[in-house]
Amino acid sequence: MLARSAQGVYWMARYLARAGYLSRLLELQVQFLVDRSVEEIHFGWKRIYRCMKRLPPPGEQFLPEADEFALADSFTLADDLTFERSNPDSVWSAIASGRENARQMRHCISGEMWTCLNAAWLRIRDLEAVDIWRTPEVFYAQTRSEIHNFVGVADATMYRGAAWRFMRLGRAIERAQLAVPLLLAQIDLSRQTERRTLGWASMLRTHHALEAYGRVHGIEMKPDRVLDLLVADPSLPGSVLATVQAAATELGGLGGGPGVEADAAARRLAGRAEALILYDWPEASAPEELLERVDRSARDLHDAVLGAFVDYAIEDSPLR
Amino acid sequence: MDFSLYDFDPAIYDEMFVGEGEPRDHCRAVVEALRELPDDDLNTIQERVTRSFSQEGITFTVYGDEEAEERIIPIDCVPRLLALAEWRELEAGLVQRIRTLNLFLADVYGDCRVVRDGVIPADVILGCPQYRLAMRGVNVPNDVWVTICGTDIVRTHEGFMVLEDNLRVPSGVSYMIANRKAVKAGLRRLYRRSRVQDVEQYGSLLRQTLCELSPGGRPDPCLALLTPGTYNSAFYEHMFLAHEIGAELVEGQDLLVNDGFVYMRTTSGLRRVDVIYRRVDDDFLDPLVFREDSLLGVPGLMNAFKRGNVALANAPGTGVADDKSVYAYVPDMVRYYLGEEPLLQNVDTRLCRRPEDLEYTLDNLERLVVKRVGESGGYGMLVGPHSTPEERDEYAKTLQADPADFISQPTLALSRSPCLIDGHAEPRHVDLRPFVLTGNETRIVPGAFCRVALRRGSLVVNSSQGGGGKDLWVVDL
Repeated sequence: MLARSAQGVYWMARYLARAGYLSRLLELQVQFLVDRSVEEIHFGWKRIYRCMKRLPPPGEQFLPEADEFALADSFTLADDLTFERSNPDSVWSAIASGRENARQMRHCISGEMWTCLNAAWLRIRDLEAVDIWRTPEVFYAQTRSEIHNFVGVADATMYRGAAWRFMRLGRAIERAQLAVPLLLAQIDLSRQTERRTLGWASMLRTHHALEAYGRVHGIEMKPDRVLDLLVADPSLPGSVLATVQAAATELGGLGGGPGVEADAAARRLAGRAEALILYDWPEASAPEELLERVDRSARDLHDAVLGAFVDYAIEDSPLR
Repeated sequence: MDFSLYDFDPAIYDEMFVGEGEPRDHCRAVVEALRELPDDDLNTIQERVTRSFSQEGITFTVYGDEEAEERIIPIDCVPRLLALAEWRELEAGLVQRIRTLNLFLADVYGDCRVVRDGVIPADVILGCPQYRLAMRGVNVPNDVWVTICGTDIVRTHEGFMVLEDNLRVPSGVSYMIANRKAVKAGLRRLYRRSRVQDVEQYGSLLRQTLCELSPGGRPDPCLALLTPGTYNSAFYEHMFLAHEIGAELVEGQDLLVNDGFVYMRTTSGLRRVDVIYRRVDDDFLDPLVFREDSLLGVPGLMNAFKRGNVALANAPGTGVADDKSVYAYVPDMVRYYLGEEPLLQNVDTRLCRRPEDLEYTLDNLERLVVKRVGESGGYGMLVGPHSTPEERDEYAKTLQADPADFISQPTLALSRSPCLIDGHAEPRHVDLRPFVLTGNETRIVPGAFCRVALRRGSLVVNSSQGGGGKDLWVVDL
């Protein structure tokens, strides 16, 4: 597969995973605006911004006490994370970039995938702001649903070649890079509040894990059990373990990349992240330290994958 | 569809009607079926055709000051019809013309007999900016210089005429296929009844043609389509064709030359490329030979090509044969190289480099179409009958400053075909661009990108100037 095409498909998947994840976070967050306390609303915003490694727009300090300020500020923040074009991680920017990568690489994906994604893009492009802000949770839910739909269409129609694996790799790396910082933010913020259970239920909902938690652990909300489920349960599709395992599987299916050293590093990083969760997590006394190591691995994995398959030195490459 | 108010004009050839309300024989069944189709149904079909282009992202990109805008070419859902017998005539003329042009190119980059025998003046060829000295003495695979040609054909009461031979990087074939797909879906029953010749095999024929150029006949050659990139207005077509022919869609940055061979960067190392369907102009192909500031090309590509290690379609330098000055000599070339009379006529063309032609052109500006030799896409031209005296005065000054840069032609009454305009049938001027493929043999799919001037009275069919497209049905009725 052409190296630049692989890179395009990889980025397409990353951007769409980002748009889907952020849409889910914002969908839940705007639902909070209806009936939750100011503390809880601010907790949610702080967690999202830390997950995205972004500072809120100037002037928004998460400080206002009165509800009406919280609501007004919330819409400013939601706008910053949804439509702000100068924010490369906003939902709008991420979908636009994902779709643009797909447009350039549409010969590498199935026609059904392209039509599905393009239809979603055309809908979002033609929306009026007033329609969105009237019922923002509907907008986020629909956007998330369209991205799920795209993933499903890909699953049903895409040829299982190298492009498929790069797409899955991009999705896994992006999810790991979002989910782990979100968990770290949750651990840290919940320690700063007296309400120890604050935010854990929404963590489950973010990862579509509320029902699974109920089945495995019953109805009592215990933070350490939530953390266990979200980090180390291989049966939960959005768990950190399932995500790093997916990355390792796709990497294994790709065979060796021409960038030999980077290739070895990539396999080491994916394997190490998986091993950390499989073997060290159950006995970890400081879960955030271990998660920070997984976070570093996920970030380094991105560079190693590109070094192995895309940005390799030509001198080292075999001629075919 | 209501044809009762259709503005039939006997002075202009109508593709569908031979007289007021009187369809041509091969159009009779289609006209009757269209007459029975309620306006609402046809409007719905038209909307569906337009929507399908938008949903599938069949777009061209226009770059403004701030951001890029994706646009779709407006497509009229009423097909233009051509009888199979007419098509066969046209096809024979196109085959004759492409044979001639390939012989001409081999000659002007070889012995130049055509100049020595006085058929074409040397300065017409050597003065042409598209004449590439770097191609002198180069052998091209199978003697095929022009692998893909998109010839612009117009029709008047006098018959078919060639308006332009596009021999460099002709575009539009993706619209031929996309129009067919969309219109066929809208007019299913009519399509089936009309026994329309298929065009969707174009991709496989193009692949077969390109494979025939494989250096040294290497089996299962690696094909690549070289695009200038996503900023090119025809990027959709590049992507579409790469997919159709099973080629990698590459940019210059994806290719490199090592030891006289071309390789592309893949995820498993460097892979040798055998045939490149290039959609990058000569000027930008290789910075070591052509424009040294080009970032779109591949350093060393021409060296690999000259050594016969990679085939380029079309070969560099073909632009000299579709230069607007050289065009005027194509009928003479047919007689010279083939000893045959041309089957397809040229539009009467005057070269302003000749004093008598310049004088004629200046005296008749209000009746002529004047074009710059090096321009295309409808840019830089004056359509005399549609111009103001001030525009003509201004244009005359430019023309006199550099007469060799201009040609003039009579304003043709291009044929018209019915279009669905604001819910009813109105005639609009049309041309067609069939695509001619040449490898071991010449192949033409029975169809074309039919361009239509959608503005009332306009003769300019270029998409950049308000033109649109139509599906062309070659029917066996």
